[in-house]
Amino acid sequence: MSAIREGTYGLLAEFDSPGDLVRAAQAAYDSGYRRMDCYTPYPVEEAAEAIGFHRDEVSLVCLIGGLLGVAAMFGLETWISVWAYPLNIAGRPYYSWPAFIVPAYEWTILWSGLSAFFGLFALCGLPEPYHPLFNAPNFRGGATSDKFFLCLEATDPKFEVAQSRAFLESFQPVSVVEVEY
Amino acid sequence: MAQHAKTLPHDLGAPEFVDRWRARALVIGAIFGALGIILGFLAGDGWNHFLRAWLHGTMISFGFCCGGMALLMTQYLSGGKWGLLVRRPLEAMTRTLPLVFLYFLPVGIFGMSFKQLYLWSRYNTDPWGAWKQHLISATQAHSIYFKHPLLNPVTFWCVSIFCFASWWLYTHLLNKWSLQRDADTAPNVPYWQVKFENLSGFGVVFYTLTLTAVSIYWVMSLDVTWYSTVYGLQFLVGQAYGVLALVILTLIGLSKAEPIKTIMRITEQHDLGKLCFAFVMLNIYLAFAAFLIIWSGNSPEEIPWYLDRVRGNWGVVATLDVVFHWLIPFTLLLSRDLKRIKGRLAVCCCVMIFARCWDMFWLIEPNFKDAARNLHFSIGILEYLTVPVAMIAFWMAYYFTNLKTRPLVATNDPHLEEILEPEHAHA
Repeated sequence: MSAIREGTYGLLAEFDSPGDLVRAAQAAYDSGYRRMDCYTPYPVEEAAEAIGFHRDEVSLVCLIGGLLGVAAMFGLETWISVWAYPLNIAGRPYYSWPAFIVPAYEWTILWSGLSAFFGLFALCGLPEPYHPLFNAPNFRGGATSDKFFLCLEATDPKFEVAQSRAFLESFQPVSVVEVEY
Repeated sequence: MAQHAKTLPHDLGAPEFVDRWRARALVIGAIFGALGIILGFLAGDGWNHFLRAWLHGTMISFGFCCGGMALLMTQYLSGGKWGLLVRRPLEAMTRTLPLVFLYFLPVGIFGMSFKQLYLWSRYNTDPWGAWKQHLISATQAHSIYFKHPLLNPVTFWCVSIFCFASWWLYTHLLNKWSLQRDADTAPNVPYWQVKFENLSGFGVVFYTLTLTAVSIYWVMSLDVTWYSTVYGLQFLVGQAYGVLALVILTLIGLSKAEPIKTIMRITEQHDLGKLCFAFVMLNIYLAFAAFLIIWSGNSPEEIPWYLDRVRGNWGVVATLDVVFHWLIPFTLLLSRDLKRIKGRLAVCCCVMIFARCWDMFWLIEPNFKDAARNLHFSIGILEYLTVPVAMIAFWMAYYFTNLKTRPLVATNDPHLEEILEPEHAHA
């Protein structure tokens, strides 16, 4: 992030129940909002569906990691046994693929596990030491315990402070807060 | 969001089209059975390949029947909503035991008592004499002599009959109690759960032992020199692999109509797909581990079993075995979408069942002298394309008949309420 951003990050509506949140999120999506997010203390799949959450790429990253792992280890073993340091082991051929399978398998697991782990962090944009939503005191207090939040972000073309606030208030949230960057 | 729990349809019986499945299975069975008999006359090998193929069909049908029993007991022990879904189809599989016993009889009578299949039964009384006449090798003679307490007609029949009797007892109790449980009231469910758990806990261990015994007698002893401690376990995993594929296919077929249409959610279908994936991995793990250990040891007592199955064109069959058994199902089941789309999962399950048959061919045929290290075309070998198909088709027809005799959903189970809820309703 090059420049310091100023102004409104978005409007944050607080709800007491996941049902209210999903209804509001669904209505916001239906009326054309796209840049928004739901924040809940536990996974609510309906909320993700309501805001049109698309598929993530973690599985693809994991697959690529696994393929790289198996290729790397199998290649390494082949290179060592056939070219770099050929050893006669019980008269077997240098290229004894059955013996290569187990380490290659281990590296498949290792690389796919690590790439899934770090890929998830990267795709989530973590680590993120600062997030504007933490400027809202009710978010800090409730987002991880018992409150359900919907944030309409100011970058959405449809976003307009007064109108969007009125839109959110029509769902009778506990509060609607304007969050600064 | 405001979806409500579904209600179970009034009629829980199997839909009408199961009759069509059965009719189709019977037609296939009749056609392939007739072809098998014609080939038996044409082959000119004294019906030997017919009998080998019969053993193949017996092992596959037995795998569905008793593998179904093992999985049925497993789901009583593990619990879970997938178990409720598969319970009645698995019970229908276990009730095919009489047919499997009929299938076994020719193997025992012609294969063993009339000495057509098992080398050890042919030279049981005087192995060293047979060796002197150059009918068998010294290793074979020694094995027949040494294993005589295990491999002789009396113990063969005693063990086989004992195993069938024990499986009959288990399938009988599992099926009887299941109906009694449904007729009982909901507060008595814990009593039935404990009862089923007690039966199944011991039953799974006991089945593993009896399966090890019969897999040794019926298949492993075709090559009298061969021994492997993981053999029974490989059959166990293979049976679970085939049964899971078959039960998913059944459910997908039945889900076109009530009552399965109502209770089959994507979540449980996905779970069953994941379980399949686990068995695909477990199966290749056991198969490859056994191979790797014997390959590393490279001992003349063990390695010939693999050489018989790799050399002389058998390598192609072995490679395709890995492709069908592991590579195709593994790559397909890796995908989350595939497990959730019925049509694609069904294709994968068909590949898995085909792989079971392919693997059984690779296990059985190279045991015989004319085929070991020498895969070649003969009219006899075509029996593997006809006899097992007919036997499996007749088995399927019987399975579908059993499917029709009971409601397809076990009702006295707390999971039923959960399975009727909308999906991912943990909000």
